[in-house]
Amino acid sequence: MTIVGLALPFDFEQPVWLWLCLIVPLLIAASIRSLAGLSPIRRALAVTARSFVVILVASCLAGIQHVQRTDDLTVLFLMDRSHSVQEQQDFQEQYIAEAARGMASEDRVGLIDFARNAFLQQLPMSGGYHIEPGRLPPMPNTDRTDIASAMRLAMAMFPHDTAKRIVLMSDGNDNMGDLLTEARRAKADGIPVDVVPIYYKHRNEVYFDRMIAPTHAEPGEQVPLRMVLNSHKAVAGTITMYLNGELVDLPEEAARVHLNPGSNTLFMKMPIQRSGAQTYEAIFHPDNEEMDTIALNNAASAFTFVSGTSFVLILSSNPSHDQPLADALASENVRVEMRNVSELGAFDLLHMMNYSTIILANVPAATFTDEQQEALAVYVKDMGSGLIMFGGDESFGAGGWIGSPVEEIMPVSFEIKHKRVIPRGALVLIMHSCEIPRGNYWGKEMAKKSVDTISSQDYIGVLAYTYSPGGENWEVPLDLNLNKAAVKAKIDRMQIGDMPDFGTTMQMAFNSLTSGRGSDAAQKHVIILSDGDAQPPSGRLVNKYVQAKITVSTISIGWGGHVMDRALRDIAKKTGGKYYAARNPRQLPQIFSKESKVVRRPLIIDEPFQPQVLHMYSDLLTGIDPQSDALPPLGGMVLTSPKHSPNVLVPIIRATDDGEDPVLAHWQYELGKAVAFTSGYWPKWGTAWTEWPKFAKLWAQIVRWTMRQDTPANFDTYTRVEGNRARIVIDALDKDAGYLNNLQLRTKAIGPDNSAIPLQFTQTGPGKYEAQVEVEKAGQHLANVQVADGTRNLGTIRTGFSVPFSPEYRDLIPNEALLRQVVDTTEGRWLDAGPAHDDVFNHDLPPTLAKRSAWEWVLAWLLLPLFLLDVAVRRLASWLALSVAVEIVVLFVLLYGIGIAYGPWWGILGAFALAELIGWTIRFRFIGPLFDFMTHSVTALSRTGERSAASLDQLKTTREQVRDELSSAKEEGLKRIDQEPGPIPLASARRRFDTGGHSAEPAGDLDQALDGAKVTEPPPDKRRPPPPVSKEDQEETTSRLLRKKRKREEEKE
Amino acid sequence: MVHHTNQYSRPQPSPYLSILATIRSAVFSPRRDLHRLGQEDRFGVSPACLKRAERLITALALTWIVGCEPPPLTPNGVVGVFGNVGLGNGSFSYPRAVTADPAGPILVVDKAGRIQRFLADGTFDRVWRMPKTEKGKPVGMTVHPDGRIFVADTHYHRVLIFDQVGNIVGSFGSEGVGDGEFQLPTDVAVDAQGDLYVSEYHENDRITKWSPDLQFIAAFGEDPIEGKRLSRPAGIDIDSEQTLWVADACNHRVVRFSLDGAALSVIGEFGREAGELRYPYDVDVSPDGEIMVCEYGGDRLQWFSKDGKSLRTWGSSGRKLGELSGPWGAAYGAQGLVYVVDSLNSRVQILEP
Repeated sequence: MTIVGLALPFDFEQPVWLWLCLIVPLLIAASIRSLAGLSPIRRALAVTARSFVVILVASCLAGIQHVQRTDDLTVLFLMDRSHSVQEQQDFQEQYIAEAARGMASEDRVGLIDFARNAFLQQLPMSGGYHIEPGRLPPMPNTDRTDIASAMRLAMAMFPHDTAKRIVLMSDGNDNMGDLLTEARRAKADGIPVDVVPIYYKHRNEVYFDRMIAPTHAEPGEQVPLRMVLNSHKAVAGTITMYLNGELVDLPEEAARVHLNPGSNTLFMKMPIQRSGAQTYEAIFHPDNEEMDTIALNNAASAFTFVSGTSFVLILSSNPSHDQPLADALASENVRVEMRNVSELGAFDLLHMMNYSTIILANVPAATFTDEQQEALAVYVKDMGSGLIMFGGDESFGAGGWIGSPVEEIMPVSFEIKHKRVIPRGALVLIMHSCEIPRGNYWGKEMAKKSVDTISSQDYIGVLAYTYSPGGENWEVPLDLNLNKAAVKAKIDRMQIGDMPDFGTTMQMAFNSLTSGRGSDAAQKHVIILSDGDAQPPSGRLVNKYVQAKITVSTISIGWGGHVMDRALRDIAKKTGGKYYAARNPRQLPQIFSKESKVVRRPLIIDEPFQPQVLHMYSDLLTGIDPQSDALPPLGGMVLTSPKHSPNVLVPIIRATDDGEDPVLAHWQYELGKAVAFTSGYWPKWGTAWTEWPKFAKLWAQIVRWTMRQDTPANFDTYTRVEGNRARIVIDALDKDAGYLNNLQLRTKAIGPDNSAIPLQFTQTGPGKYEAQVEVEKAGQHLANVQVADGTRNLGTIRTGFSVPFSPEYRDLIPNEALLRQVVDTTEGRWLDAGPAHDDVFNHDLPPTLAKRSAWEWVLAWLLLPLFLLDVAVRRLASWLALSVAVEIVVLFVLLYGIGIAYGPWWGILGAFALAELIGWTIRFRFIGPLFDFMTHSVTALSRTGERSAASLDQLKTTREQVRDELSSAKEEGLKRIDQEPGPIPLASARRRFDTGGHSAEPAGDLDQALDGAKVTEPPPDKRRPPPPVSKEDQEETTSRLLRKKRKREEEKE
Repeated sequence: MVHHTNQYSRPQPSPYLSILATIRSAVFSPRRDLHRLGQEDRFGVSPACLKRAERLITALALTWIVGCEPPPLTPNGVVGVFGNVGLGNGSFSYPRAVTADPAGPILVVDKAGRIQRFLADGTFDRVWRMPKTEKGKPVGMTVHPDGRIFVADTHYHRVLIFDQVGNIVGSFGSEGVGDGEFQLPTDVAVDAQGDLYVSEYHENDRITKWSPDLQFIAAFGEDPIEGKRLSRPAGIDIDSEQTLWVADACNHRVVRFSLDGAALSVIGEFGREAGELRYPYDVDVSPDGEIMVCEYGGDRLQWFSKDGKSLRTWGSSGRKLGELSGPWGAAYGAQGLVYVVDSLNSRVQILEP
C-alpha cells in the first residue's frame, strides 16, 4: 500500500473493507425514494451526508492512516567501548559531540555504547547530544565485542517517522555475534550503516596463542606441553609455570625464552605428581614492559587427566569428628582424603573431578559459594560421580541447604512435608533502601534467597518503608512460607523507600513476633539490611528484643564504603545476632543463607532412637542381617522427607507415632548417585555406631556404590581452541586397530560457571568423530563423553579444553575488511575525514513516509459531524438551524484538514470564515432581520426623544382612562354588592397569563415541536377584534387551528 | 487559595460507563476470547478489525454521553510544575532538597548528586555536581543572604559552600561525634547575625551553631518540654523573630528553639489528622510567619501558626498534580510561592499557598 501512500496523504491497513463503499449507490437509490418528502436541496444534502458517512465508516474499518512525508533524520551512534578500543573513547565522544553540533533542529541523535552488551545511553532526541565527554557510565564486560547486538538494539530504537542512519564507531573486531547478518537486516530496513573506523597505533604486543597438553596421561609419564606464543617484535622474557595452582620451579634455561617476530613454539615436559586432573598455567613476562601492551593475554592454561585409583573426599567442618569414618573407610581399602571445609580455597568442578565420591559431613551450605553448590550438582548428575551427605546440626535443612542445587540431586527433600507439628521458626526481614547503586536490587535478591532457604513450615515476613501512602508496611505479612513463589513475587514488586528510622519497623516486627502471627514460633530472628543511614532504634526497644529472646542480625551493605555501621553493630551485639559488613554484593547470598538457617534449628531431633531397617535388600545393606546385626541406636538426626520418585530407596528409617523419617536414603540421579544419611555427627549422635563391628564394612559398601565408574574407552582425543571456537576430535579404534563406526557419543560440555553447553558429535571419517562448540567464557571446560555402540556401553571419555582469555585481547589490528563489508552491504559511507567533514547528518536519504493511525480522527471530526448533519437535514425544519448545522460540519471538516496537514494559524481563521460564508449563504434570508436585530439598539436610541414624548402622551391618556374606569367601576361595584355576590370572572383572569395555548397540548408532530422557536411566526392578527369574554374558550381553539394551517402552507412553499 | 484535601474525593464512575462496559463485555469479549483461543471466527472478523469496531462503537457511545462525566479534578492551588525523571538538564533523579535564593532562583539537589538552578518559573538555568557522590548525596541546603550556597553533604559528614555558579568556596566539619564534627548533616540555616545552624542525626541528633567565620560555638538537641532528645532533625529554618524551627522527623513533631538552644515549644504528634505529623522532613517559615511543614511520611504540606495551631494541609499520596509521593522538602520562593520537591515523582510542584 506504499504506492497509495506515495500519491495520497492517506493509506489503509486493510483496504478490503473499502468494498463497503459499494453500498453507496444502493443507499442513494434507497434514500431518494425514502426522502421523497423533503425539498430537493435537503434531499441532496442528506444523501451526500449519508454517502459520506458510509464511505467514512468503511475507511475507519479499513484502518485509515494518515501518511506524512518527512525528511527528518535520526542518527544513532554505536560506540565501541570494548577493551581493544578503550584508549579511543575520548576520540569517539569528541566525534559525536562535534558531529551533533551540525545537526538540524528537527533531526534526532542517540547513542548506544557496547562491548559484550549494548546499552542505550541517549534516546534518539532532537536538540543535540547531551552527554558530556567522560560522563558515560562505566562499561561492564569489556572482554568481548558484540556489534551485532548493538545493531539490533539500534534498529529497535529508531523512531518510525524519520529517515534512519546508524553510525558505527568500532575497530571491527567483532568476536561474538554475526555482524553481517545484522547488516543485511539493516539493509532490508533501508538503514545505511556509516562506519567511523577506529585505528590504533601499532602496538608492541606478545600474546599466548595456546598451550597444548594431552588430554590423558598415565602415572609416571612426563606430560609434554606445547606452547605457542605470538610476538610482534623480538622479545626476551621469562615463562612462569603453575601446576595445579602451585608455582613450578623451572630451571633457568627452560624459563628464559627469546621470541622471534611471528609465531614461536616452545616445548616443556612436566612430571606427573598425582592422579586426577592436572592443570597447567603458563605466564609470559617480557623483560621490557614496553614490549607488551595488553597483559591479560600473556597467560595460557591446559589440563590433563591422569588415570589412577579413585579417591574419596570427606569435607568436614570439624575433621576430628569425622576421623572415625575416615579410619573405617581406610581400613576397607578405600582411599580417603579428608579436608577441612574452611580451608577449601578454590574448589571447582575440575578439582572435584579428582575424586569419585565426595562426602559432606555436617557442612553448612553457607561454606560453599553458589557456584560451588551448582558444581556439586553437576558433579553428580552430569559427571556421574557420587555425593553422600551426613546429618548433624549444620546439615540438610538445618544447614541452610533448602532450595540449593544440592537438594535437587539428593534422594530426600530437606523440607518436612508430613503433618507432624514441629516447632516453627520465624524470620522477619527489614529492608532499608540503600543509597548505593543497585542496593535495592541486591536487597530483593537476598530476600528471595532467604525465602528459598527457610522451610515452608516457618514464618516469613518482610518489612519495608514504601511510598503512597508513605509509611512502614508489611510488604510480606508475617505468615507461613507455604507459597514461596507468591512470596517472592511480592518481594519483586516491592518499592523499597527511604526508611527514616529503624524504630518503627522493629516495633512492628516485635509486635507481630510476640503477640501476632509469629508468636508461637520457637525461634525468632530478624535480619536488617541497610546502609545504616536510618535513625537507630531506642535502647528501650532493643532491650525488649533481648527480653523476648528475639535475635537481630544486621547486614550493612555499601560497596562504595558508605556505611554508618556503629548502630547496626550495636543492635546485633545486644540482641545476640551477628553483624556483617557486606562490601561486595556477591557476599550477600552466603550471608543470607547463613542467617536464615538460624530459624531452622527446630528441624533437628536431638533424642536417641533405634533406627530400623525397612528395606533389607537394598544394595547398600548387602551383608547386614537385620536379625543378627541389629543396628546400634543413634543419638539424633535431622528431619527430611523422601522424594516421591520410584528411584528413591529408604533402607533405614526412624519410626515414630507420627510416621517414618528417613535415616538412610539413596538413589541414582541422572548419571550419578547420591546418598543421604540424616544422622551422623559421630561424637554426639553416633558413638554406638563407630564402635559397631560392621561400621567400616557398611560405609565402605555405601561409598563404593556411589563412586564414579571410570571405564575409560581408550580412544585418542584431541581438543583445540581457536578464537571462541573449540573442537573436540575423537579417534575410535578397537583392539585390533579397526575403525569403530556409527558410535553414539553423548555429552555436554560444562563451562567454568557450571553451565551446560550441548555438544553434538558427528562422524567425519572412518572412526573419526568431531564436535565443535562456541565458547563464551574463558576458563576450564569439561566434557564427559559417553560412548555407546547401539545398546552396548563402551565407557566414558573424560576430556576438556581450556580457553585462556577472550579473543578481544588477541586482536592486534582493526578488522577493516569487515567494516568495509558492512558499509558495502548497507550502502553506507566510510567516514574517516573527521567530524567536521564527514557530514554525518547528511539529508541524502529518501524521505520517510510516517504513517499515523487516523481513524479516531476521522471518526471524531468527520464521521460524527456528517452523521449529525444527516439527521439535521431531515429533522431541522428551520433553515436557520440547518444552516448552522451545515456550518458546523464544514468547520469541523476544514479544521480536520488543517489539523492533519499541520496548517498555519491563519488556516483556522480561514476555516471559520469559509464556514460562516457557507452558513450565511444558506440563511441569506436572515441577513436583513439579523441586521435589524443587531442595529436595533442604535436605531432605537436615535428615536428615544420621539418615543419618550409619545409615551408621555400615552401615559397621560392611560391615566385619564384609568381614572374614568375607576370612577365608573366604583359606582357599578357598589351597585353589585347591593344586589348579589356574583362569581369572579375566572376565565378572563386566566387569559391574562395565557401563553397562547401551545404548552397545554402535546405537539402533533416533530415539525410542530421544533417550531416553537420559529422566527417566521406570523404576527398577531391586528384586524381581528378582541373576542368577547363569554366566547373565549371556543375562540382560542379556532385561532390555534387557523394558525397551524397557515404555518403548514408556509412550509410547503 | 489552598483547599483542604484531607478527604480527597474521587469521581464516581458514570452509570453510562457501566452500561457501556456491559455491552462491551457481552458483545466483544466472547469474540475476543475466540480470537485468543485461535479459533476461526464465523464472520471472518480479524482481531484488529474487532478492536476497531469496538472502539468505534465505544467512541460513538461516549460521544453521546459526553457531559455526563464530572470534570477532572483541578490540582488545588498548583500553579506550575517542572522536572521529570531523567539525567538531562531540568530532569531529576529523586530530588531531595529544594531551597529558594532570596534573589529569585530555585535550587534543587537530586540523588544523582546534581545541584540544578532554576528560575522562579521553573526554567532551567544551570547545573553543577557534588565533588563526590559514591557514598551518598546531599539532603539539604540553604542560600546565605550574601549569595553563597551551603549544602549539607550528608554522607560525607560536612557542609560544602558553593558560590552562585557552583565553585566550591569552602567547607567545614568532618565525621565524628565531638564538637565541630558531624554525622549525617541534613540542613543548614542562617540567622540575622550570620551565625550558621546545622542539623545532623544518627548518633548525634543535634543542632550545632557556628559563627560566620565557621568556628564551632555550641550544640543543642535536648527538649525538656517533652523530655525527649531530637531524633533525626531533618530540616531547620529561622523565622523573623529569630527563633529556630526544627523538623524532628522520627519524633514526628516540630520543635521551636531559641537561638541559644532553649526549647520553646513543640508542635504535633504522630498521625495523619490535621495537627498531627508523619515524618516531617522539612520546615520553612512563610513571609507572614506561618510554619510550613513538609511531611515525608504523610505526603502533604501542613501549615501551623506559631502557637501550634494547624491551619491547613495540602496534598495527598499519589502521582497526579496536587499529589505528592515521599516529599523531602519544600521552600517559600521569593514571590511567596511554595516549591515542593515531589521526590518519588521526580518533579517540583509550585503552589500558591
